[in-house]
Amino acid sequence: MHVPDGFLPLPVIVGGYATTGALTWLSLRQIDRLPNPQAAIPRASLLTAAFFVASWIHIPVPPASVHLVLNGLLGTILGYFAMPAILIGLFFQAIMFNHGGLSTLGVNAAMMGIPALLAYRIFQLRRLFPKAYERVGLGVAAFASGAFGLGLSAAIFVGLLVTTIPTSLDASTERAAILTLTIAHVPVMAIEGAFTAALVLFLQRVRPQLLEQS
Amino acid sequence: MVARRPALDAHCHLDSPIHRWEPRAKLVGITLLIFAFAFVHQLALLPALLLVSLSLYALSGLPWRFWRDRLRLPGTLLLSMLVLLPFLSGGTPLVSWGAIAIYREGCFAILPIACRFVSILTLGLIAFGTMPFATLIEAMRALGLPCILADMTLLSYRYLDDTGNMLIQMRQAMRLRGWQGDRFSWQHLSVLASVAGTLLIRSFERSEQVYRAMVLRGYGQARAVSRLQSPQLRDIGATVWVACVALTIAALEWHLRSLSQFGFGG
Repeated sequence: MHVPDGFLPLPVIVGGYATTGALTWLSLRQIDRLPNPQAAIPRASLLTAAFFVASWIHIPVPPASVHLVLNGLLGTILGYFAMPAILIGLFFQAIMFNHGGLSTLGVNAAMMGIPALLAYRIFQLRRLFPKAYERVGLGVAAFASGAFGLGLSAAIFVGLLVTTIPTSLDASTERAAILTLTIAHVPVMAIEGAFTAALVLFLQRVRPQLLEQS
Repeated sequence: MVARRPALDAHCHLDSPIHRWEPRAKLVGITLLIFAFAFVHQLALLPALLLVSLSLYALSGLPWRFWRDRLRLPGTLLLSMLVLLPFLSGGTPLVSWGAIAIYREGCFAILPIACRFVSILTLGLIAFGTMPFATLIEAMRALGLPCILADMTLLSYRYLDDTGNMLIQMRQAMRLRGWQGDRFSWQHLSVLASVAGTLLIRSFERSEQVYRAMVLRGYGQARAVSRLQSPQLRDIGATVWVACVALTIAALEWHLRSLSQFGFGG
């Protein structure tokens, strides 16, 4: 779910870089407000590498397999570090695997980053659950943030592709394309949400400190 | 299956005018070209895009095999995304079989996308394949990349291989214990989530040791002095030349668009 080079018109590319620049600036400002921001950098960096590698895990959905996006999980665990982490991850993908693109880096980072930051906020809703249902609340909030992170990214991706590439698609074809692509992403959203919930519950059991900053 | 990371700067030791181009000046020049190329939609300008990018690639002395290998996977992905366009987009059929038709407009829509894709990807290879990764980040830092982003990029890059190897070992251990992950079940999903969770926990624990080691070596006390030398006149000249090419392409695109709007051309 990365827009490659060559697809988008220049105004969208510039808009993507402007949005990503603003979001990154906002995130870095929040990070600077931490008591010791430098101490958090190695943790965020190694977790960025771990997220990048974890996204190589393929989930078999016969006859094919899907790989996870994990932007909701990134927001859930890294908070404001999610935006720099996504930017770096996409930069690596663009220059190492030529997956995504350099001109579309801003658009792709905004497409993944905005949902990640919103997923971070959704994960905070777990505090609304009573103490007796803490674990249930954690699972539900993690599922919602994981599914929402992917769902919103997919919606932005589909919207961008359908509205910017084919200049002469008729309205009914455009509606059918949007509907098909949206329906195709629903099971993937459920898988991503369930994976995020399972992972967060695993972390709470084994290393709850990783969730403390969230 | 874990993807293997191809060497990004495997050919940065070669000697060519592009390799000798000062990193900051090179990044500025190539970025301008990338944005100019992204602006182009006119079919008449597409050969110019390919000519400029492939000429610069030839000048860089990078092997063509490297270019071909780098293009193969994203090119296949691009084709899979574009293959439906001639069938869906347009109103002038070129060929038709009953209800299925290939439209002229759809075919012409593919050309600019494919040419921009190949040209921009080639420019990226020229920029990042002709200098070591550490120099690239240093140049980006000198051009205004925030310190936190620069540090995070270098550290993530440093530990990417280690983390990838960790995942390979974990998957091997799972297979040796009889794991068969070729079908979907929620139980399998939960196991894979535990694998990813273990990866995060190990990275988290390692980061604490890394931070202590970095502090012992003076991290955060003073910024490292840049090893980049000031750009020479020839570096600035090369950037100005490339900027002129970018501006010319953008101006021609603008001009051709104006002409087509007033009905003087296509």
